Amino acid sequence: MNDIALTVENLETGYGELQILWGVSLTVRSGQLTTILGANGAGKTTLLRAVTGILPAWKGKITFKGEDITSLSPHKRASMGIVMVPEGRMIFPEMTVFENLEMGAFTKRARENMKDTMEHALTLFPRLKERLSQKAGTLSGGEQQMLAIARGLMAKPEIFIFDEPSLGLAPRLVIEVFEILLKLKEEGITMLLVEQNVHLSLAISDYAYILAEGKLVMEGTGEELEQSDEVRKAYLGV
Amino acid sequence: MVSAWIGAILSGILLGLLYGLAAIGLNLIWGVMNVINLSHGAFIALGMFSSYFLAHYLHVSPFLGVVFVLGFGIVIGMITYLVSLHKIISAPELSTLLATYSVSLIIIGLGTFIFTTNPRAIDIHLGSVSVGETVLPMTKILTGLFSIVTTAWFYFFLYKTWSGKAIRSVSMNRDAAELMGINTTATLALAFGIGVGLAMTAGSLAATIFPFTILSGGGYELKSFVICVLGGLGSPIGALVGGLVLGLIENLVTLKIPTSYVPFLEFLILVFILIVKPTGLLARR
Repeated sequence: MNDIALTVENLETGYGELQILWGVSLTVRSGQLTTILGANGAGKTTLLRAVTGILPAWKGKITFKGEDITSLSPHKRASMGIVMVPEGRMIFPEMTVFENLEMGAFTKRARENMKDTMEHALTLFPRLKERLSQKAGTLSGGEQQMLAIARGLMAKPEIFIFDEPSLGLAPRLVIEVFEILLKLKEEGITMLLVEQNVHLSLAISDYAYILAEGKLVMEGTGEELEQSDEVRKAYLGV
Repeated sequence: MVSAWIGAILSGILLGLLYGLAAIGLNLIWGVMNVINLSHGAFIALGMFSSYFLAHYLHVSPFLGVVFVLGFGIVIGMITYLVSLHKIISAPELSTLLATYSVSLIIIGLGTFIFTTNPRAIDIHLGSVSVGETVLPMTKILTGLFSIVTTAWFYFFLYKTWSGKAIRSVSMNRDAAELMGINTTATLALAFGIGVGLAMTAGSLAATIFPFTILSGGGYELKSFVICVLGGLGSPIGALVGGLVLGLIENLVTLKIPTSYVPFLEFLILVFILIVKPTGLLARR
């Protein structure tokens, strides 16, 4: 049995008066890839925003490696190794590719090994190497997504969180993103993935949850969910 | 005649560098947190007084005092941010506008009460330098040089240090910066502190050339707005170039027209640019 990296217990949160999550509980095990699937508006992004701390939790508890992090600020969580590649990439457009990668290694624990991690990130993303001195805002959408992932890698993630990394990408690039995810998984990095591409996600997941209307409705290994009739009907269109 | 032109050009460049430095403070705060700092002028005046008291009571040369004024400005600016701005930093711009205006009223109100509005001047004589028939006071030359040095320091800080890079990343995407482990609250406070510090530094330098009162910052604040519009808000290099342009215009036109027309002319430029190219003449976007 693997160690538990992250737990979410009975999480409730939302925006202003609008409650989005209604008591969500999940577990992410070390070294595994855990996926959260769900329709648009199910609360997937909200859940990740609460895990990283950008959105405060109203109720419930979030622990990371046994430590209660529910009330910690996002930058403190980041310095513990909770790293997210946010939806929409959120790269720093006016900075060069190199500076973007540097900013990934901002935390003390990541800064020390910056040279090595940079080398590693650039072997995974050789195309970025040719563009190090280019402004990140001038990159194509696919390159920006690669940069966002590489920047996350620079932070030396203890848990690597992805919010819809294949969103808006051409099919060929979607495959490329999933290949990268698979490589990272093979490196033993703990990952939490939110995706709309159900089929590909389940294929690479160790464990998956399905979120609907702010509640978890189903869970199981990737294989189990892929074979479940409900999932096939609702999300795979077969 | 020619020497008058040369004198005006040299003087324009030296003062322009000072105006540019003042404007960079305003520009940084706008660029990083979309706050129009209406207390900019009040802080410039505070810089003048800081320099004055350092020289008057502690006998510190205003040019050595620059370092202290900058440091003092950064601290007082950070406190100002945390007390008056942080709670409303994500609110509509009117809120932050009113907050910085309040800070300005507080500084000027207290300043008027404590210092009165009698003009003061720093007692400093460093001689002068002759260029042909033009005589430039040494204080003016040093002011220009110190403006360049301070601007260069600011650039180095912004582009080569972790804190500077943190400020730039926060200006581009606050959430992403926080996700990278950057304490965005502290970074915003630091950015505001440095903006105020640069304004106060500009004030401390200006005080070596011109007499001043607690109200003297107002003129520089208005110039800073014109410069930011000239150079494009959010672009520090543009601010420096804008400062030079304004300094030169000011000094050259006063050869032909009375000095009292200068503010009128400055605002004519402001309005003209806002109509023709609202993003600023030198702005990228």
